[in-house]
Amino acid sequence: MKRKLVRFNTLLWVVLLAVQFLPDRTEKDALSPAMVWFVVGAGVFMTLLALRIKTAEGLQLHVDVFCAIFACLIAWTLATAKWNLMRESLFPAPGQVFTQMAEDYSKIFINIGSSLGIIAQGFVLGAVIAIPLGLFFGESARFGKAAGYIAVFLGAIPPVVYIPYGIALLPTFRSVSVFVIFLATFWPTLASTMSGVAHIERRVLDSARVLNVNRPTMLFRIVLPASLPSIFNGLGIGLTISFILLTSAEMIGSKAGMGYYVRYYSDFGDYTRTVVGIIIIGIVITAIMYGFNRLQRRLLRWRG
Amino acid sequence: MRNKIEIKNLSVTYAAKGGQPFTALEDVSVTVADGEFVCVIGSSGCGKSTLLSVLGGLLPATAGSALIDGEPVRGTGTDRGVVFQHYSLFPWMTAKDNIAFGLKQAYRKMPADERARVADEYLEKVGLAGAGEKFPGQLSGGMQQRVAIARALAMDTDILLMDEPFGAIDAKNRTVLQELLLELWEGGAGGRKTIVFVTHDVDEAILLADRIVMLTNSPGRVGRVFDVPFARPRHRAELVRTHEYHALRDELMAIFFHDVGDKIGGAEVVL
Repeated sequence: MKRKLVRFNTLLWVVLLAVQFLPDRTEKDALSPAMVWFVVGAGVFMTLLALRIKTAEGLQLHVDVFCAIFACLIAWTLATAKWNLMRESLFPAPGQVFTQMAEDYSKIFINIGSSLGIIAQGFVLGAVIAIPLGLFFGESARFGKAAGYIAVFLGAIPPVVYIPYGIALLPTFRSVSVFVIFLATFWPTLASTMSGVAHIERRVLDSARVLNVNRPTMLFRIVLPASLPSIFNGLGIGLTISFILLTSAEMIGSKAGMGYYVRYYSDFGDYTRTVVGIIIIGIVITAIMYGFNRLQRRLLRWRG
Repeated sequence: MRNKIEIKNLSVTYAAKGGQPFTALEDVSVTVADGEFVCVIGSSGCGKSTLLSVLGGLLPATAGSALIDGEPVRGTGTDRGVVFQHYSLFPWMTAKDNIAFGLKQAYRKMPADERARVADEYLEKVGLAGAGEKFPGQLSGGMQQRVAIARALAMDTDILLMDEPFGAIDAKNRTVLQELLLELWEGGAGGRKTIVFVTHDVDEAILLADRIVMLTNSPGRVGRVFDVPFARPRHRAELVRTHEYHALRDELMAIFFHDVGDKIGGAEVVL
């Protein structure tokens, strides 16, 4: 494979680096020298990543993504530190943001840990209860239909409306959050599991029956994998809603979590940390969804 | 020869959509000898698949009986191998796992490495050595049916029930699969299996069967039964050159399309 020595992303990287050396026009220190180190680090990271890519398509994607990132950073640097086009108090320079990120890393990790702990508990609890129930109701000729209607009705109610009851009945904000995440995962997963079971090709079930499978084998080796694509749809919806709900909840009533971090510092007018929080939330959720999609692709690889 | 399968005055009625009772089979009597290859032929909707479902234990008889080795069929069992037209394989299991799963069902005590070995052996027999790690979705329709046949054969059941197994395969591959099935059945170690093979393809029936049972339409009844006297091993290329082949084929075709003609309301059918 012929590798072009200079691609557009490299060019933009050079521009980004050069831009850092323009004079700052902000009143506060824009921390441009720190940004230089960040840009150098990004360049090294980009190169190391490129070396691991084997296909031409992968390389193209790599180039395009880094072009987009660098273009944004160039525009951001120019609009804030270099030309001061926006209100300084609201829009920090990238150097300030990334420096703050590095300084706050332990605080950030603690808050991420708090958020993810709640998500993990609520999500796993929701999935673990919804999937077996969905398999049972989906299989049941008698209860299946009624359960379907009930799940549609109860699932239509946004879980946030239960928060007053959660607060009244549960001891801590954390347990209320877990409860809300649990509901956010439970209903879509229950509905999608039931629908998955109901839509299994009858002839697949016949094929299993003629092999004389017993009930546990039927459930775990046939019905569960056959409905797994649908189950994953529900889990994906649940996970997305969970993040939205938790971040909102943390911004309103929590003393921990990434939503809390954003809200707390914006209350003090510390918009550098607000931007730090927003970026971190984006990165964390992207990483989790990426992992979730990888798991899904792995478990459903038979679908080709 | 003793009768492996005895179907006596079998009727099957079930509730169709709208709650109307639908009689799929009426007063059907067929016997199949041990080691015999019987093709059940008829146009679509004649109840030939229903007949196979009863033998497979998927559907109960409404009246009459279906006996295997003199015992009434009670539900499904791994004494019968079944191959359907579609969805015989489980898409989430690899070809090899599909066969191994069948083996596990048939032989509870067979250790896993033995199952894997037998699965490989039968994959090779159907010409799919090396495709064991592929999922059904990665195989062509013909290859999927090969795996399904391999599983049924690996389970080493006395009886094979095949419901239009080559019905969805293109003409060229169908021919190859028919010959493969014949080869495996005729050369089967430990005696030939008893096969009930449902098809709507007259040529397929003549090539494969010892006897052809023709079902008439709605409700399905046994129309006529034909002996197929050609010597085995059979080869299509030789068979189609004989006068007897064409005589039998013409006779079957005449009845087959007469029946279809009745159904659509005219004696003549333009094909």
